[in-house]
Amino acid sequence: MFGSQISTGSNNPNKDVEVSSPPDDTVSALEFSPPSVTLHTFLIAGSWDCQVRCWEVETSGKTVPKAAQPMDGPVLDVAWHDDGTKVFMASTDKSVKCWDLAANQTMQVAAHDAPVKTCHWIKAPNYTCLMTTSWDKTLKFWDTRTAVPSMTLNLTERAYCADVEYPMAVVGTADRGICMYTLEGKPAEFKRIESPLKHQHRCVSIFKDKKSKQPTGFALGSVEGRVAIQYVNPTNPKDNFTFKCHRTTGAVGGYQDIYAVNDIAFHPVHGTLATVGSDGSFSFWDKDARTKLKSTELLDQSLTKCAFNHSGQIFAYAVGYDWSKGHEHYNPNKKTFIYLRASYEELKARPTQ
Amino acid sequence: MGRKKKKASKPWCWYCNREFDDEKILIQHQKAKHFKCHICHKKLYTGPGLSIHCMQVHKEAIDKVPNSLPNRSNIEIEIYGMEGIPPEDVKEHEKQKSGGGKGSDSDDDEPAAKKKATPALLGAGPSTVSPGILPTPMGPVPPGMYPGHLAMNHMMPPFMQAPRMMMAGMRPLFPAASAPTSTPSKPTFPAYSNATISAPPTTTTPSSSADLKENGEVKPPAANTCPLVTATGAGSKIVHPPEDVSLEEIRARHHKYRPAPRPNASPALPPAVSHAEWSHLYAISLQSSMNNMNSLVYTSTANVAAHMSMAVAAAARQQAAAAAAMRRPVLPGVMPVLPGVRVPVPVSVPVLPVVPQFSLVHRPMQPGMLLPGGVMPMGAVFPGLPVMQPRFR
Repeated sequence: MFGSQISTGSNNPNKDVEVSSPPDDTVSALEFSPPSVTLHTFLIAGSWDCQVRCWEVETSGKTVPKAAQPMDGPVLDVAWHDDGTKVFMASTDKSVKCWDLAANQTMQVAAHDAPVKTCHWIKAPNYTCLMTTSWDKTLKFWDTRTAVPSMTLNLTERAYCADVEYPMAVVGTADRGICMYTLEGKPAEFKRIESPLKHQHRCVSIFKDKKSKQPTGFALGSVEGRVAIQYVNPTNPKDNFTFKCHRTTGAVGGYQDIYAVNDIAFHPVHGTLATVGSDGSFSFWDKDARTKLKSTELLDQSLTKCAFNHSGQIFAYAVGYDWSKGHEHYNPNKKTFIYLRASYEELKARPTQ
Repeated sequence: MGRKKKKASKPWCWYCNREFDDEKILIQHQKAKHFKCHICHKKLYTGPGLSIHCMQVHKEAIDKVPNSLPNRSNIEIEIYGMEGIPPEDVKEHEKQKSGGGKGSDSDDDEPAAKKKATPALLGAGPSTVSPGILPTPMGPVPPGMYPGHLAMNHMMPPFMQAPRMMMAGMRPLFPAASAPTSTPSKPTFPAYSNATISAPPTTTTPSSSADLKENGEVKPPAANTCPLVTATGAGSKIVHPPEDVSLEEIRARHHKYRPAPRPNASPALPPAVSHAEWSHLYAISLQSSMNNMNSLVYTSTANVAAHMSMAVAAAARQQAAAAAAMRRPVLPGVMPVLPGVRVPVPVSVPVLPVVPQFSLVHRPMQPGMLLPGGVMPMGAVFPGLPVMQPRFR
């Protein structure tokens, strides 16, 4: 699929396609355009360099930078409007802006009292709104036409990660809190559960039931190289489990380094998942068969975000320093990259024997 | 009588009060009667170890120690042989032996404080049982009670003893951490396998918990404070700053990302108003499909970077000079226009009426004031030059 774009630099052991003109600093958010954008595929990336960039991804693998918009602080999350014409950008500047791509204009649509950590667009049959979470311990829903949120819910702690798949939303907070919300009718808190993980929550991603295509659970990643698969209503308590990942295999008696799971993404078609880690690798997993489908060699920097396009053909992952070793290891000269990979075949579940 | 070998009395089992000649036999008894898993008959080494094993492997919660007296069934208390017995119980036992039945019930529940999240959640996965490696609030607990709780894994009981070993000096040597030995309980997922995370020596744990509280962080610093070394040198370490705060929060504190006024602020700038955010003077490159080559308008609802347009064009020139982020207040209600945009005239856009919560005081930006500290405003465009950024066409 990606013909001539493969760069074989030393930092690309997987020989994936490098996105041109990457951001100047670590990528904090990565999203492909939704299915409503039919003719083209666009990729949006938000970065610690305070900008959100848009590329068009052509089928040949060529990426064409299209536009960029700045925020007043590092961008922490981006989200597409379901109609594919607007992108929401959440930043440490405590605001969320809406970027109208056609007009290339931005407008503020949300604000919090602290940096906004996540933003997601909700499209329900009877309403649409923007959901934002922040380090100010609130979860807000916005009709983007007014400056006052249409609903504010309190979180027990600062929001660290969130995901939305209508009609379900889940928020992971500091102090290992997890809260699930139902979005039907109007958003409401559904359930708070005890975390299946013992360490700080880092990322969460909702998965759907293969048959019903309804959200049925979520995968939660922590800083301790572990992912928990948690069903909302497990038929059997043993359905919920955790697995370890992104750890260096220590020799017997040697040290093992445990890295954070920075992002999790589910393949939209196969239901398998990808995890990217602070160790500099990504892995593909089949949660139903409880197997690992693939893991990769380590890159020289951490992987910070990943995303699948809506058809599941392309897997994108961003490489850059994630601050896991503190500011001392920050090297501004090390560049950030985004790579693309043809992923449809790789993420297929293997037939179980 | 032969030997008056009273090391305080004959060894007796805390759980069921039976007496034994020898501590070794006592331990064997405990393992067989009190620390044996009723599901798989595996003999663990301590009560907490048994609890962890059952939760991790069988997903079953145990609330009391098997075959124990009703007042001695606390599974959280760590007894090994004669070690770990609460002093009150020791006294009571002696009294009972000598005085015969004082019947005061000893209190157990010593370190109940231990875990933050231990209510055993059925099916919630193995890790819910114990705090895992976390040096969770262990403050009140006497050292020696904890090591077992730190291992996440039922296979770790030997591990749990390791720190104890260091303290008591009397325990048999256990196989080391055995980091890589994964329990073959599940196929390819390394689930539930041996804690590659070693149990930190108890003695250091409570103190490190305290040390790592920062900024009034009440949460256990958790996760990332695993001191690595186990008795045999095997260990693991979580690659994360010790503070249990998200990486983004730590990063956002860094001066490079903060919207604070820079020390090398241009002297021409009036002192920044505290509320003001950075203003970015970015011209963003447009590309062909976006046919508007005209102004990139920032519609700001006042708090976020709004720039004065007139200044902008000249200001853009200063881009190279601007390293400092300055607080650039902007007049509310004024629509900024990005520099470099073909349209030099500021475009006014009606401000949303509902602005109050965003209101900040702004002042016009001076030419040459550029943005965000530390970040080279990539988008700055020089008037007359093509809007395209070299990097970002």
